[in-house]
Parts: sequence; structure tokens; C-alpha cells
Amino acid sequence: MTPETPPGGAGGAPRTAPLPHDDSANGQPLTGLDRAISQASKVVAWLVFISMVITVFEVVMRYAFNSPTSWVHETTVFLIAAIFLLGGPAALARDKHIRVRVLYDAVPPGARRWLDVLNGVLALLFTTGMTYAAWVMFYTASHNPLGEWQLERSGTSWNPAFPAYIKALILFALALMTVQVVLHLIHAIRNRPAEPAKSGGR
Amino acid sequence: PEARAQAKYNWTFQTSETAGEPQYKIKQDWAKNVEAMSGGRIKIEILPTGAVVPHNQTLDAVGSGILQGHLTDPSYFSGKNPAFGMMGNLVGAWGDPMEFLEYMKFGGGEAIYNKLVEPYGLHLIGAMATGLESFPSKKPIRSVADMKGLKVRAPEGMVYDIFAKAGAAPVNLPGSEVYTALEKGVIDAADYTVFATNHTMGLHKFAPYPSYPGFHSLPMVDVSINKQIWDGLPADLKAILKTSVDALAYQAISRLKALDLQAANEARKDPNIHIIDLPAEERAKFRNIARQEWEKWAEKNAITKEFYGSVTDFLKGRGLM
Amino acid sequence: MGGLGLSAIGIEGGTWLLIGGIFLLLVTGLPLAFVTGLVALALTFGWFGPNALPLVISRVYGFITEYSLVAVPMFVFMASLLDRSGIARDLFNAMRIFAGRLPGGVAVQTLVVAFLMATMSGIIGGEIVLLGLLALPQMLRLGYDRDISIGVVCAGGSLGTMIPPSIVLIIYGLIASVSIADLFVAAFTPGAILMGAYVAYVLGRCLMNPELGPPLSKEEAGGFKEKVAALKGVVFPVLIAGLVLGSIYGGVASVTEAAAMGVFGVLLAIIVRGEFSFRLMQESVQQTLDTCGMIIWIGIGAAIIVGVYNLMGGNRFVSSTILGLDASPTVIILVMMAIFLVLGCILDWIGIAMLCLPIFVPIVKQLGYDPVWFGILFCVSMQVSYLSPPFGPAAFYLKGVAPPDITLRHIFMALLPFIAIQIAVLMLLLFVPEISLWPLR
Ligand code: NA
Ligand code: NA
Repeated sequence: MTPETPPGGAGGAPRTAPLPHDDSANGQPLTGLDRAISQASKVVAWLVFISMVITVFEVVMRYAFNSPTSWVHETTVFLIAAIFLLGGPAALARDKHIRVRVLYDAVPPGARRWLDVLNGVLALLFTTGMTYAAWVMFYTASHNPLGEWQLERSGTSWNPAFPAYIKALILFALALMTVQVVLHLIHAIRNRPAEPAKSGGR
Repeated sequence: PEARAQAKYNWTFQTSETAGEPQYKIKQDWAKNVEAMSGGRIKIEILPTGAVVPHNQTLDAVGSGILQGHLTDPSYFSGKNPAFGMMGNLVGAWGDPMEFLEYMKFGGGEAIYNKLVEPYGLHLIGAMATGLESFPSKKPIRSVADMKGLKVRAPEGMVYDIFAKAGAAPVNLPGSEVYTALEKGVIDAADYTVFATNHTMGLHKFAPYPSYPGFHSLPMVDVSINKQIWDGLPADLKAILKTSVDALAYQAISRLKALDLQAANEARKDPNIHIIDLPAEERAKFRNIARQEWEKWAEKNAITKEFYGSVTDFLKGRGLM
Repeated sequence: MGGLGLSAIGIEGGTWLLIGGIFLLLVTGLPLAFVTGLVALALTFGWFGPNALPLVISRVYGFITEYSLVAVPMFVFMASLLDRSGIARDLFNAMRIFAGRLPGGVAVQTLVVAFLMATMSGIIGGEIVLLGLLALPQMLRLGYDRDISIGVVCAGGSLGTMIPPSIVLIIYGLIASVSIADLFVAAFTPGAILMGAYVAYVLGRCLMNPELGPPLSKEEAGGFKEKVAALKGVVFPVLIAGLVLGSIYGGVASVTEAAAMGVFGVLLAIIVRGEFSFRLMQESVQQTLDTCGMIIWIGIGAAIIVGVYNLMGGNRFVSSTILGLDASPTVIILVMMAIFLVLGCILDWIGIAMLCLPIFVPIVKQLGYDPVWFGILFCVSMQVSYLSPPFGPAAFYLKGVAPPDITLRHIFMALLPFIAIQIAVLMLLLFVPEISLWPLR
């Protein structure tokens, strides 16, 4: 009703609880790497805006001018895949990944530390295994059977090397998460007291 | 489970169809046939598209031994080597699937395909074909001129450029979007699949001008196995597998044709559906446009060049060019 | 391929290992995104050996390059923009005025909005995020009961795949080889019944106890003048909905593209309202990235596990369970529903579809049932699977955007009555096939 809403204000209405996009309510980045990722993700996030713009462009070109583009759908898939992949490390940096806290909340702080260490080890197993597999896939996508450098392409008329780029991004995201998880594990072993406000995605 | 334990070779082959499509059933019957012919020594489990790896990743999966084989459309691998797209669907070349199979088996096609695929760790047992795909359209296409401005969905491979050359406005739309896009009129026509399947899906309710028999696309089905496994097989099992794929191709052609004819008869009874048989001279026009594109693809690399030479020799020998 | 000999335990043992592993890891508090993925990774390694590991990553590739998923970030982006501008708040203020003296009125309106939005989206996720960002905080602000608000958002938001267009019905049509057109027609009544049942439940609870959905007082409700003033809050949302619906049903854009058209419309509205700023854009794209990162990585884990289970022979386990039955046709259908519901607790719908439908549908046809009817039953049981713990995608989507004091446990507890409603509707549709099939007669 009120047009005098502060521009860019977070809704203006009184809220029963802070929303997760309010930084104050989030788990602060734990390590220097997390902070760097958190910063970098502010730029990466604009890819979703670009995908929207080019999709609208495709719709207009096709419907109004009967000349569909050859590149929008593939580019959109590529940009959105990048959003999905890089969103992994970004969410990890800001501690936004969802977990089940039933046991965690029930045990005393001392046991929580051991749960943190256990989770760190399990997460490391996952990211390490995935990074290895991603490396194998990226190698296949960037080399022909003779072992020469040759990027896998999409095989369409436009034929961009997006498959190879996406596989490179998968490798990058997983390797980054592996380093993040190692740093978190070190943090948990050193047993700094956990900040009580760490509500994040939990 | 017991039968599985007794077999000497237990393999998993992924196909490019969902379990409901007729080709899937035909491929399952092939696996049963192989088991019977080999006296139970080979047992092959057929899995639908995407069951283990995505449809466009089976080349890597068979090469690395995760899957032991696949029965799929090579066009999906055009991004690895354009020869996959060119050999997998040489648009406009074939009047019927038998011509294509004769070329593959006796015109040198199999040898060239194996030259292409063996470095990836696969061996082609044999080729199969689904038959000419029909062309579901919302607008009547009675000539190449009618294709002008037609918004047609075209996937990877040669189809896109050939339709563009023919004056159409190809749309690079993913397969999962085709149904609703055609229903609502986002696109006018689609490179999709065979007549019977299109009809079962209900495509002709809103795309009532299907071109049948088709004119544009006859995809190969590559029946390949991991090369290391192939090389280690005794001669009798190799012979059994090769013969079984010939039988599969024969079965597929006749059974799919029967299904298409049956569906076409059904469609003809529906006053709202108008099946269009593109006249011979228009087909020739389209084929000539396609040929210009073949020449372009021939220049892409050594294998596309070799294939182009071999296939044009074959077609000329038959008086088809 | 040599694994660590884990395959010796057989597919039945493997199935229990898989389920047990997931539950065990869930309890430790490991992020959900890693739970299913780690179990899948461990099974691949143990069953097939290290050479098979590329399998898991190839499924990641397939999942993130799925075009229809493009709609998810678009919906999140749209929701984020609506939430940060005043559009959402004005809409809900207006809805409250129109709901007037009816207890639970805004919740009922939210369900109607969800139903309308279901005609614009074909996948699960985007709608829930949108309602979770817009409707949930607003209902809480208006003093609505938390559990009812959560249930309305998750159950209502799941209708996206029940009402055409629907990816679930398209995939069912492809796997079962039945007409997608017929499925779309048949799904409409059951979808409306589901929404009606949610409305009836919410109204019933709120009429019995108006505190659960506080109506306006006589003074607040105002008269005709207030209602006309409130209309202003509805203008932009109606225009945006019109743009999206018009794009889809006018053949302008595909369902996925229409989501981007929606974002475009929202941006225009924000500019017209004079609320546009760099900060608003920056915060919105940032929230989109974070939310997608969290949601999609859970999906990645689920996508991985299906591939491994299929390669292990999971389909053989499912088929031996069904084929071993010597029971009446009705019991066989009921057992199939039970399998859908149980698998729905740990797998996502596409995994269940690939695992079960190739086996179930031929049996259903052989028993003389209509596969279109069975498709509707499948679609409704997948509605349950979105909500059922521990793997409940609807709950995860909501958790991604809900106020942080709402825990996953709160959400799942709130969803129980709605799951009960869904199962009741499922039974109704099972025993009265005509409800789905009448438009096809
Ligand atoms: Na829908
Ligand atoms: Na579930």
C-alpha cells in the first residue's frame, strides 16, 4: 500500500524473525577462504541476471521477429549450471547447507566438538572422492583419445565448448569445497568454542 | 539371480529410450536372444536412458568399463567428434533403413565407424536403425518452400544447419521441452521420433500435419561394447554377438514399420489429422540442400572426409546420387 | 570390475545398507548435500571399485545441465525481488482485506494463488521458494499459526507438478508410453481435489479455533472504500501473473522461458514503483545463488544415488518384490503405492520413476487397469514424496528461505496432517478411477 517504501529496503514490514538473507542472522564465514568465497560469490551471482536477460531476448527474437537464436538455450544452461555449481562452495562458506540437528542439539558441547570432527572427516571423504572423479571426467573432456588437448563441444550448430567448461567448473567447485572442508576440520580439531548465533542453514 | 551367477559374462547395456518406447522392448528381446544363442554364457541387462549415466555420457561410461555396452544414437557424441553426428544421421541420404544397413555392413561403414570409436575404448558390434523419423508439424509442409520461417526444433548434429539452409528458423530446444512447446505453439514442428511413438504421445492432437513417411532423419543405433571385453571374447561368442545384432536390426525395422503403419492407419481415420507424404521432387530438393551440408562436414576432419568419400561412392554405385 | 567385494551381500543387502547408511549419516548432522552423495560414493567404491567413480560425477553433470531446472533460479530470483520490493507486502495486505472476517482467509487465498501458480510451472521447487519467501513471513506477520502456514506453502507449492504443465506427467507418459495429453486432462480434477482438501482442512481448523488464522476485527475490515484501495496492491501481481500465463498459453515462451519472463515483469514493476536500486538487485542475485547452491547440492546427492542403485541392480530388487506377490489386483496396486511411498522417503521422484515404472506399468496394463489412471496415482504419490521425511524436497526448499528459527523438524511435523490428506486423496482416486478418467470418456 505504501509507495514510500525505502528503496532496496528488505521488505519494510516488521518481521517475526530475521530472514536468512540478513547477514546478521547468518553463520559468519569461518575462515579467510570462506570470506574470500563469500566476496567472490557476489559477482558470480549476477550470472542469473544475465541468463534472464538473454532468455527474454530469445523469446522476443523468436516470437516477434521469427528469428530464434542459436546460442541462448545453451548459454542459459551453461550459466545456470555455473550458478548451481559455484553455489555449493558459496553456501558452504556461509554455512547455509541444511543439516539435521536432532542429535547435535541434544548432546553436550564436548560431544558436539567430536560430532564436528566426525562431520568434517565425512565431508572430506565426500569432497575428495568427488574431486578425484571430477578430475577423471575433466581429463576425458579436455583430451582426445590420443591424449592431445581437445575440448569437448556440444555438437550443435553453434558448437560451443560448454561441456568441457562445465566439467572444469565441476572440478573447480569440488576442489574448492575440499579445501574449505579441510580448513573447517582443522578449526573443529582446534576446538574453538562455536558461536551461539550460528543458525545459518541449520 | 541364479542365472546371473551361472553366466560367464554379466553385462549392463544402457539404451537411449525410456522403457515405454517400442525400441526398448526390441532391445530387451535382443538381450534374451543373445542369452539363448550363447547357451546362457552371456547375460545382458538392458537399462533405459539415464538409468546409470546421462544419455550423452555413455561413450565415456562404456569406454571406462562402468557400463559394458550401449545401444544408442551416436549423434549425442557429436561434440567429441563431428563424425559421430555425420555417421549417426546423414540427413537426407537414405530412402529406407535397409539401404543404410547395407552401407554399414557391406559398403565400408562399419570399418570407418570402428576407426572412429575404438580409440574411445569401444567396439561396434553392429549397426541398427529405427526407420525414418516422421515430422510432426502444426503447419502443412507440402514442399521445401513451405519450410520458410518454420520454427522447427532441432537438436545436435547436422539437422539444424540443413533446416536453416532450407529456409526454416531452427530452435535449439532441449528434448524435455518439445511436448509443451509444440502443444502451445512456441515451435511449429519438431525433429522428434518415429510416427507410432509421436502418435501414442498425443502429439498429433496439436500437430496435425505429420510428414510420413519421413524425409529428414534416419538415425543410426550404435550397438557397441567395451573394446577390452570384446578383444577377450572367444571367436564363437563374437560371431554370436555379430549375428544377434543383424537379427536385431531386421527385427527393429520390421516391427517398428508395422507399428508405424498401424498408427498411420489409425491417424487416417481421424478427420483432424492430415498425413502428408512429401512428393518425390520435393524430397530431392531437400536432399540436394542436405548434400551441400555433407560437403561442409567432410572438411571437418580425416574421418568425416573418409566417410564422405565412402558414402558418396556407395550412393553413386546405386544410382542414388 | 573389481570392487571391494561388497557386491557379495546381494542387492537386498545392498538396499538395506543404502537406507541404513542414509539414516545414520543424517543423524550425525552431516549437511544433507553430502549425505546421499557420500553413501552413493561409498557404495560405488565398495561394489564396483575405484574405476567406477566417474559414474557419480557423470550424474552430477547430467543433473546440473537439465534445462527444465533453469526455472528454479528464475523463481528464486523472482521471489527475492518481490520480497525486497514492496509488491509482496502490498499483495498480502490486500489479500487480508479481502479475506476480511473469514478465519484462515489468507491461508485459503495462498492456496488459491498456489493453484494458479501451478498452471505456470512444471517442476517442484520454484513455487515453494516463492511462497516460502512471500506468503510464509506474511502469514506469520498476520498472526497465522506457524504449522498451518508451513503446510500451506509446502503442500500448495507442490501442486506445480500435479496441475498441467507437469514434468512428472511428461516423464510418466514417456516411460509408460501413454498420451501426455490424456494425462494432463486426467490430472486436473485430482489436482483440484487436492487443493480443495487442503482448503477444507485449513478452514475447518481455523473455524474451530480462529486464533490459528486471525480474521480482521470489524474496524480493520473496513468498508467498500478500503477494499477499492486494497485493489492497488493486487494490480502488479495480477499483471505479472498475466505476463507469465500469457507467455505460456499464448505460445510465446516455453514453460521454462516463461519463468524468466516473470522475472522480467517483476523488474519492470519494481522500476515503475520507483523501488529499483543496485542494492536491491545485488541482494536478490546473492540470495538466488545461496539458495540454489543449497538446494541443488541436495538434488545432486539424490541424483547420484539413483545411478549407482540402478547399476547395482535395484530394479531387480523392486521387480522381485512385486512379481513374487500372489495377490488380488487391488492388493498389487496397493503394494505398488506402498513402494512409491516408502521410496519417496529416501529418493527423489525421478529416481522412483526410473526404478519402478518400467516394472510396474506393464503389470498394471496386464491387470487390465488404465495406465493413465495409474499415472495420476503415481503423480499423487510423488506429491507425498515431496513432503515425507527424511528426504522431503519441499521441506528443503522451504528451509532454504524460511526464517532461521523454523527448523527442519518443525517443518516436517507441520507437514504430517497434509501428508495424511494426500494419502486420503490417493486412496479416493485409487478406489474411484472415474474421478480422474471422466474427461476422457
Ligand atoms: Na504445473
Ligand atoms: Na520424501
